Amino acid sequence: MSFQSLLGNSVDIGLILLDSSGKIRLWNHWIEQRAKRSAAQAGGLTLTQAFGERIDPRVALVVREAIDFGWSGRLSHALHPMPLPLFPPGGEHSERMKQSIDITAVDCDDARHCLLQIRDVTETVRREALLKQQARQLRSDLQSLSRAQIELQRSEMRFRELARQAPAGLFEADSQACCTFLNERCEHILGNRLDDVDDTPWIDLLPVGEQARVRTSWRLAVESATRFAEEFRYTRPDGKQLWMRAEAGPLRDQYGSISGFIGTMVDVTEFHERASRNEFRANHDGLTSLLNRDRFERHLRAALSGAREVSDRVALLFIDLDHFKQINDTHGHQAGDIVLKAIAARVRRVVRSDDMVARYGGDEFAVLLNGIGDETALHGIIAKITQAVAMPINLGSCHVRIGSSIGMAVYPDHGDDPASLLTHADKAMYSAKRGRCEQALSSQT
Amino acid sequence: MRTFSELELDALTEAFNLSLGEAAATFSSIVREEIELSVPTIEILSRDELIERLESGRPAGADERLCRINQHFNAAGGFQTDALLLFPEHGSLEIVRRMLGDDTPIQHITELEQDALAEIGNIVINSCMSSLANLFGTEMIGSLPRVQSRTAATLLDDKNASDVILVARIGMTMAAYNLSGFVLFIMNVPSIESFMAQVSRLFNLPEHDGSQARP
Repeated sequence: MSFQSLLGNSVDIGLILLDSSGKIRLWNHWIEQRAKRSAAQAGGLTLTQAFGERIDPRVALVVREAIDFGWSGRLSHALHPMPLPLFPPGGEHSERMKQSIDITAVDCDDARHCLLQIRDVTETVRREALLKQQARQLRSDLQSLSRAQIELQRSEMRFRELARQAPAGLFEADSQACCTFLNERCEHILGNRLDDVDDTPWIDLLPVGEQARVRTSWRLAVESATRFAEEFRYTRPDGKQLWMRAEAGPLRDQYGSISGFIGTMVDVTEFHERASRNEFRANHDGLTSLLNRDRFERHLRAALSGAREVSDRVALLFIDLDHFKQINDTHGHQAGDIVLKAIAARVRRVVRSDDMVARYGGDEFAVLLNGIGDETALHGIIAKITQAVAMPINLGSCHVRIGSSIGMAVYPDHGDDPASLLTHADKAMYSAKRGRCEQALSSQT
Repeated sequence: MRTFSELELDALTEAFNLSLGEAAATFSSIVREEIELSVPTIEILSRDELIERLESGRPAGADERLCRINQHFNAAGGFQTDALLLFPEHGSLEIVRRMLGDDTPIQHITELEQDALAEIGNIVINSCMSSLANLFGTEMIGSLPRVQSRTAATLLDDKNASDVILVARIGMTMAAYNLSGFVLFIMNVPSIESFMAQVSRLFNLPEHDGSQARP
């Protein structure tokens, strides 16, 4: 084996040497393996004879230029993917190997030769395809990331604007109840800016009397990861008293544990005031603001069961105005109303504050006296009431006087249930009235 | 430094123009797409003048790299030259990727793309070289093309400051792309003298006369 072919066979590259007439002089082992033709078979043939007609015409052209003009040329894989019919060694391959060919003019033995160096670029092509695929993937990932980012910004803006315009106070607080976000409305309701209160649990801002209850409720919501909802009184820094309702749901961090709460804070002062007005109206007489009959009877029942337990005495008085109808007829209903209001106020003043006074019917009043003393004390109260009622009443244009008849029933002396006590007091009142009428009649005669 | 007379420049331009036409035809047949190479403009510059020219041609602050495809030629009789093709890296990448039908945005040129660029340079340089070989009436043995990517300032660091450079500015147009590049022939002083003499003799022009020199 010649030195030339020994060298040629030991490199990992295809070498073909052509002489000045284009005949193959060297055909190394690398080529033998891939061209399925031995050096012995190829020697002396032209490239076209060795490979057939299936070679890229540019190979022949550049070979010609090398031999004729001494130029060198490169056939890149990119522009000439597989110029020669070379196949990967071993096995049956129908597709040509990916190649890149350098063609150089070589002068040896005083004659121009042409050397073809053929490289297998299959691995390079695979690597670059992978690189480009990764680049495309990266670009598409980047695009979807930036789309997601834009969407996130948009949604963040949407929620920020919603929070700004929301008619309710919105707040977010950590599990220690320190606020991490307040919308403008919430800052307005609380009368505090977030910066001023963010290091204090918001519950500490409530009146001391409310704190324990709300704090317990908050702690319970944090521990059980449930909704928090409480109503409480609140005194704003400017001194205004409010009723507030806070409702919030738990927020979870990426590990699923409770990181805080987000919810609404609503000023329910008006609602509360209206509710208490309604409650008053339901239990009180509109004209005199005394308890109404219904409410009075409920108090009576409660007082009786209370008295029964502690063996106390309870007195029930019925007061009926004498000849009230005449005032209405003579001076009109407005005058009648003035009289009723005046009487109500006087009776209220005479009894103790924990005694109950009710307008029982048109011109009927009822009084419930708890923990009464002996008969004498009781008669003293009745006398005071009678006296107070009898005082002249200013109607503006004139003064009127009105008498009253009072009937009394005492638990347990006259009955041990509301109905029997009411009946007894009613009867006692009528008998008192009859007595007064007879007295009046007899005084007229 | 000697310069060319207008007649000499015209003659050289014409010679290059013919060979560049052939190069364009070769490209078009390879990529099956119309490619135009513009009529070159030709000058003689020193290395530093050329670098200054390359740097001033670009917007301030741009540090775009240039792609340099280099082949060395040896002529019989000791005459030798380096032939260089210069393109802005970004533009040449776009052209190569368009030729390969692949617009994947990879910042740097890949090995296969560099190979393709080497072939493009090879075709342009060989065609220009054929004009010079004709002028010299001699064979020019050329090396394989070598591709390098450099900034303009360091582009010609491997050349001597005293080298004289024959610069042919060419434009390459493909579809919507316009790419402006330079073909350079870098010669040492003895080589350029011999080259000048050849040019004068071959075009049968009178010996150089200062009054005919280009301003």
